[in-house]
Amino acid sequence: MTEAVLEGRLHPLAVLVIARRFVGVSMIPALALFFSAGTRVIVPALAVALLVGLPLAILSWWRFRYRVAGGRLELHSGVVSRSVRTIPLERVRGIDVTEPFLHRLLGLVRVEVEAAAGGGESAELSLAAVSRAQADALREALLGSPRAVGEGVAEPVPLYRATPGLLALGGVTSLSYLLAPAAIVGVVFNLADDLPGRFVEQAAEAAADRFPTDAVGLALIGAAVVGLVLAAAAAGSLLVDWDFTLRDEGERLAASRGLFTRRLVHLDRARIRGADVRDTLLRRPFGLAAVTAIAAGVRGRSGGTLLAPVLRAGDLPALLRAVDSAATNPAAPLAAHPRAARSRRFVRALAFPLAALVVAVALGAWWGAALALAALALAALLALDRYRQLGHAFDGRRLSLREGSLRRRRSELDPAAAVSFELRTSPGQRRAGVGTLTVHLGQGAGSRRALDLGEEQAVALLRRVRPDLFEPLLPR
Amino acid sequence: MKGGRAAWARPPSFPFNSLEGVPPFLAVWHRGRVILREPAEALDPRVRRYWLVQNLTVVGFVAVLVGLGAAMAAVLDATTVAWLISLVGGPVVVVLAPLAVVAAGLDYRRFRYEVTDLGLYVASGWLWRSLQVVPHARVQTVDTTAGPLLRAFGLVSVHVRTASAHGGTSIPGLTPDVADRLVEELARRAGIEEGT
Repeated sequence: MTEAVLEGRLHPLAVLVIARRFVGVSMIPALALFFSAGTRVIVPALAVALLVGLPLAILSWWRFRYRVAGGRLELHSGVVSRSVRTIPLERVRGIDVTEPFLHRLLGLVRVEVEAAAGGGESAELSLAAVSRAQADALREALLGSPRAVGEGVAEPVPLYRATPGLLALGGVTSLSYLLAPAAIVGVVFNLADDLPGRFVEQAAEAAADRFPTDAVGLALIGAAVVGLVLAAAAAGSLLVDWDFTLRDEGERLAASRGLFTRRLVHLDRARIRGADVRDTLLRRPFGLAAVTAIAAGVRGRSGGTLLAPVLRAGDLPALLRAVDSAATNPAAPLAAHPRAARSRRFVRALAFPLAALVVAVALGAWWGAALALAALALAALLALDRYRQLGHAFDGRRLSLREGSLRRRRSELDPAAAVSFELRTSPGQRRAGVGTLTVHLGQGAGSRRALDLGEEQAVALLRRVRPDLFEPLLPR
Repeated sequence: MKGGRAAWARPPSFPFNSLEGVPPFLAVWHRGRVILREPAEALDPRVRRYWLVQNLTVVGFVAVLVGLGAAMAAVLDATTVAWLISLVGGPVVVVLAPLAVVAAGLDYRRFRYEVTDLGLYVASGWLWRSLQVVPHARVQTVDTTAGPLLRAFGLVSVHVRTASAHGGTSIPGLTPDVADRLVEELARRAGIEEGT
């Protein structure tokens, strides 16, 4: 092999990172020991832990070596039992560079190498702490060097860059906090069960006693809660996506983000099958949307496919075309689904509030009936919008599918990348003359569907999307 | 499909498929037009009995649970609970038992498959119907399995896997020689080298 051999250990300061992990693991037993046995036991115990733990951390740092040579990556590790993990370079799918807070203080980064394992799964190798130069060298050795940028040429303009204002607005309009109250209530009730002596009940009663019952007080409290929630949402968005920058590196896209913990994620262009444009009911009036790539063989968990957390609609076409040269105009009109789809949205949305209304009236609970009536009206509006957002289109190269109301998603994807197609009909759908077409993309890219597609539409769409595949299956 | 069952056949007139093999009492649900034609091949008829045994096992299990629950409640002098269990569980079992018999036959009639030039086409289900097309180029592995019960009926199942967790498909209840030919053809078309 003529390739350069790249070899190294973690950065010496990685010992601190490893030690911190030990502290994290032993924190709960140590606290338990402290509370149950007091200082007389905990101090010697901590001393022993330090005497054993620190050399152990140093030893495990010493034994951990990585090596890129002969077309593969090798990781040697282990204190008691040694292990060597070998991964062929062609199996490496991507590299994820993170800077957690402690790492940033020390000037280090964490590198995670993602590799394809057998059966479409993926394995992950983690290098706990290396210097930035080491990370760059590793990336070059594993993925090849980025597009040669000539000497003295300025760095290209990023494809996308988040501004604080945009991120704050994006956080406020994300609507993800709508799910939070349920979670908080759940946590409080769980606590109430676990805490001794009716603590939560007493606190709730005390709060109820002081709770203002007049309209002004209620309005003030409501406004305060809403303000707090929105501020938290904006802060969360700023924290996670601070200075989100998407760069074009030729063969791949590089996205970096984060205020305290900074992450750098690379996305192979060859893996991109399309893009999802997501927005919410609140984002639509502002013309804001988030863009994620539909990519095969990339972990979606840690946002490895996020292209832009908040984007103005005007910048959308340029970004999509930069990512996928055949991308359609995201504002292009979509074909509406048949009216039967609307009735089905109504039936689904109204069934529950209607049942609640009937029960409330039967029980003579007029407050409940009024609430159910309000819920019914909201559900009807939502159902109408859910129907209006349904749509599909095919421009010869990219399939566009849209659904959702509160959270809307428009997917632009390459049907040639589909792993399989599925048409599903429930008895109700057959009665209404509609069906759902699902396009499975595979390798973690998930599935996208056209909900309640009309029969003629389905025939026309299948005939155009994959004529070679579907023409023999169409009737006549 | 030819033969005596043609009495149930109607002109193809319900979405995505023909009415072939659908009993009249279900046909009222089926309006509209055909989207994809019916695949050509049927499963081995023995799969009916396999599914029947499977379904009846489930019903029997539910019946035993209901009986045990009611008996235990009665022994423990919880008469109300015993009545509740039998009043809810009894009708459930009574409804499930004929459904188990009908479903096995309908599942067989409504399961069809076909290997076309470019893909595997599988249609299944009589209540919730699914028509799936897997392009040969996307098939990663084709294998056959047979559990003890399926083996007792002299049948095997063919599984087609793709890179997606949901994109694959299975064809249950084929005779071993039909399954072998199917696997061979699918593997050849998918360009998978013959394994063991």
